[in-house]
Amino acid sequence: MSEFHDDYPQYELMANHSEEEGKKIRRTLWNVFWIMLAITIVELIIGAMAPGQGWSGAFWLKALFIGLTIVKAGFIVMAFMHLGHEVKFMKYVVLLPYTVFMLYGIFVILNEGTYSGDPQNKVKMEPTFIKQQEKLKAGHGHHDAAATEGHKEEHKEEAHH
Amino acid sequence: MSHSTEIDSKEAWGGGQSPFRVSYGKMMMWFFLISDALTFGGLLVSYGFIRHKWPAEWPKAENVFTHFPFVEQHLPLAYVGLMTFILIMSSVTMVLAVEAGHRNDKKKVIVWMFWTIVGGATFVGSQAWEWYHFIHGTAEGALRQVWDMETGKYVEQVVHGANMTVNEYGPAQFANYFFFITGFHGFHVFSGVIINLIIFLNVIKGTYERRGHYEMIEKVGLYWHFVDLVWVFVFTFFYLL
Repeated sequence: MSEFHDDYPQYELMANHSEEEGKKIRRTLWNVFWIMLAITIVELIIGAMAPGQGWSGAFWLKALFIGLTIVKAGFIVMAFMHLGHEVKFMKYVVLLPYTVFMLYGIFVILNEGTYSGDPQNKVKMEPTFIKQQEKLKAGHGHHDAAATEGHKEEHKEEAHH
Repeated sequence: MSHSTEIDSKEAWGGGQSPFRVSYGKMMMWFFLISDALTFGGLLVSYGFIRHKWPAEWPKAENVFTHFPFVEQHLPLAYVGLMTFILIMSSVTMVLAVEAGHRNDKKKVIVWMFWTIVGGATFVGSQAWEWYHFIHGTAEGALRQVWDMETGKYVEQVVHGANMTVNEYGPAQFANYFFFITGFHGFHVFSGVIINLIIFLNVIKGTYERRGHYEMIEKVGLYWHFVDLVWVFVFTFFYLL
């Protein structure tokens, strides 16, 4: 091994530690595990108990879930992946580019998703599901009555294509 | 545990050493993980886009994933909770293997690597089981419009379970994203198990003992924790929100 190694310090060996240090490290790791387990169980209980659509607290619940997820992710990256123990250059080179790209991505989906979620934009992208939803709402006995102008127009459009 | 002490910026970039204080292999593993994380981030972001587009029609996960092996009752999200627990657990055994490697404790490395592989394989199996129930769906099914190739029209039909074009749970994209994202993650877990297995055999053969350090365990460990990290996000965005 050493004949291939240049004058650089041997970083591979730097992480090695003694038996006593190992004991301390293991205790920390198990603590992290218990915290993460507790968070997951709390999430599941809240998720199973939460009321359905249209509930006023839904936004804050989602924010709580995302917050707890980021906490868990932080534990994994910092403790399990040892990033918390690397030098600051290493931390920045891993975390900064990723954070910047993801924040931009989230900004974009909130903008564009809201736009294409608008009913008049939606129909163009998937007519099948909308039609079916409308029919279900109108009841199965009145298929023809439920077929509105919009439906006929879409059928014409399909024929053109 | 602080195996790398902070150094002065001038000294760090002065040459003769890595300013990042890590070996080449570990740094490249980190760079690979960043690019892989961007792929998963892109997938989840586009999932968020489609989901945000269908606020009312999108199905709630606790109405879709209600099965539990050997139990007849409906237990919403219980099985995926167990899967998450198994994966976090295998992440812990992995980090314990890394820790044992830092003490050159070959026996403990073998034990903890073994449990990591068992956990990973269990997770992949659980995911296959979850897919099976997702694809086959409920006995009742749901009324959907299905494209008929012969007549060239949509016909109304009771659909059970899910495929790439139609599913009983909600918009077609729901199943598409479920298959793609959990499938992509499941493939990562699968390849992680294979890589772990190779490293496990190398440990038994004594490759790293002869080398004098177990950094290879640390590198596969990074990959394995990353798989766990991705699952934490998939779990939140697919099953909780």
